[in-house]
Amino acid sequence: MSFGAQAHAQASGDPVTISALHKRFGALEVLKGIDMAIGAGKTVGVIGPSGSGKSTLVRCINHLEPIQQGRISVGVNGTTVTARGVENAGRVLSQGEVARYRAQIGMVFQSFNLFPHLTVLGNILTAPVGVLKRDKKAMIEKGMELLGKVNLQDKAKTYPAHLSGGQQQRVAIVRALMMDPKVMLFDEPTSALDPELTGEVLKVIAELAIRGRTTIIVTHELAFARDIADAIVFMDNGKIVEEGTPDEVLGNPKMERTRAFIGKMA
Amino acid sequence: MSLERLGRMLWEYREVLLSGIWVTIELAFISMLIAMVVGLLACFGSLSRSRILRAPAILFVEFCRNTPILVQLVWVHFAWPELLGFKFTAWTSAMIALALQSSGYLAEEFRAGIESIDKGQIEASQSLGMTYVRLMAFIVVPQAFIRMIPGILNQFVTCFKSTSIVSVIAVPDLMYQAQLIVTATFLPMPVYTVVALMYFLMVFGVSVGVRRLTLLLPNFGYFQTRKEAPAA
Ligand SMILES: Nc1ncnc2c1ncn2[C@@H]1O[C@H](COP(=O)(O)OP(=O)(O)OP(=O)(O)O)[C@@H](O)[C@H]1O
Ligand SMILES: [Mg+2]
Repeated sequence: MSFGAQAHAQASGDPVTISALHKRFGALEVLKGIDMAIGAGKTVGVIGPSGSGKSTLVRCINHLEPIQQGRISVGVNGTTVTARGVENAGRVLSQGEVARYRAQIGMVFQSFNLFPHLTVLGNILTAPVGVLKRDKKAMIEKGMELLGKVNLQDKAKTYPAHLSGGQQQRVAIVRALMMDPKVMLFDEPTSALDPELTGEVLKVIAELAIRGRTTIIVTHELAFARDIADAIVFMDNGKIVEEGTPDEVLGNPKMERTRAFIGKMA
Repeated sequence: MSLERLGRMLWEYREVLLSGIWVTIELAFISMLIAMVVGLLACFGSLSRSRILRAPAILFVEFCRNTPILVQLVWVHFAWPELLGFKFTAWTSAMIALALQSSGYLAEEFRAGIESIDKGQIEASQSLGMTYVRLMAFIVVPQAFIRMIPGILNQFVTCFKSTSIVSVIAVPDLMYQAQLIVTATFLPMPVYTVVALMYFLMVFGVSVGVRRLTLLLPNFGYFQTRKEAPAA
């Protein structure tokens, strides 16, 4: 798939290119040759049945999962994930450098994964201040501003246990945005939420999180995906079965499997 | 023996008894402190991906946990000086043996605590660019520590009780002083009864304190369940 790969001059975010990606867990091949090119600032929605490898694909991009074959490159400076690890100009990066690589890629999990021993403010400050060594005062200001944008400014001193799922996920999004990521990865960000709480999170994703960033979002919210995505990828059994614009894939799917899946979701 | 005579005798030996109590408390605290440090190191060793670190750490932990305290005590006191080529006091031997015993248990306690932390916490930390050392230090260990507090306090009680064994290598703890008093007075029944009560009061006091402390665990909303569903 290639979507907007020849990015517009002013496009923000980093392009992401995945080629011939294979991922195995032991003998089980979970990704069986994935190719994808996402232009800078574009949003790709990944859909597909349970176990098709959507989470695994997303987790390979920031090297939470090592890959066995193929390459994933993020950005223009030549950093590439390969079977050897994360490389730049042929050199395998150290663990510290891999951490730096991950710091440029925001990730939002289905289960929020806020740090329960830190307040909301602690959660969103720990990485920009501790990892990026940004000025704490400036980060508090920025954090409060972002919390304001997600309607949580009055929760800054609250611990995650006291927040609803929707609130926790909004904090998790702010936590990722505090790092100024060039790329955002979402793995079913609303699947763990009560239906009445998904709206508030989807709104934050659409209006705040994906603006000016390259985004890959795994979601079962097909209407939402249709709204925000530049392209939709339908995965099944470790392969991309169908890809195209949201209107093509969701509105007029060509493959039987895609049609069956969308039919079931509706 | 009348209560009055007993009272007089206790008063007569008060300094000996107090010094014994002090040695007991001192041993328990110091060996526990050392055991916490050694236990944490052993824990990280046993969690390490490097075989060279992991194997000896696991061996150490298992050895500490699977040898009786009396054997450890005698071994440290009589074998180490010859193995290492220098002598140390009985007090030091006692402290080392007690620390060995506790560090084995604490290492396991620490490891279980660290492993009980949800993998999502580690992945979230990694996705934010944290290195292993940073995410351990700021995310995993602080959370694990809260869960480990009851285990650490329990081990402290065990350690406190274990100190009574050090009299066999003539460390002048409470038990040792009791034996001296018995030798001098030929009154084993009242003396040992009183000493048993003293141990009971001290250990019971520590246990109750421990339970109280456990209830007062750091309160940052982590252990509390939400009382009311907040507005979305
Ligand atoms: N750590 C792992 N070890 C072994 N197998 C794994 C591991 N993680 C995932 N798998 C397997 O890989 C396959 C793809 O899993 P993945 O989580 O990527 O699917 P998914 O498309 O995200 O599914 P869902 O919609 O349920 O989240 C599944 O068969 C799963 O059992
Ligand atoms: Mg998944």
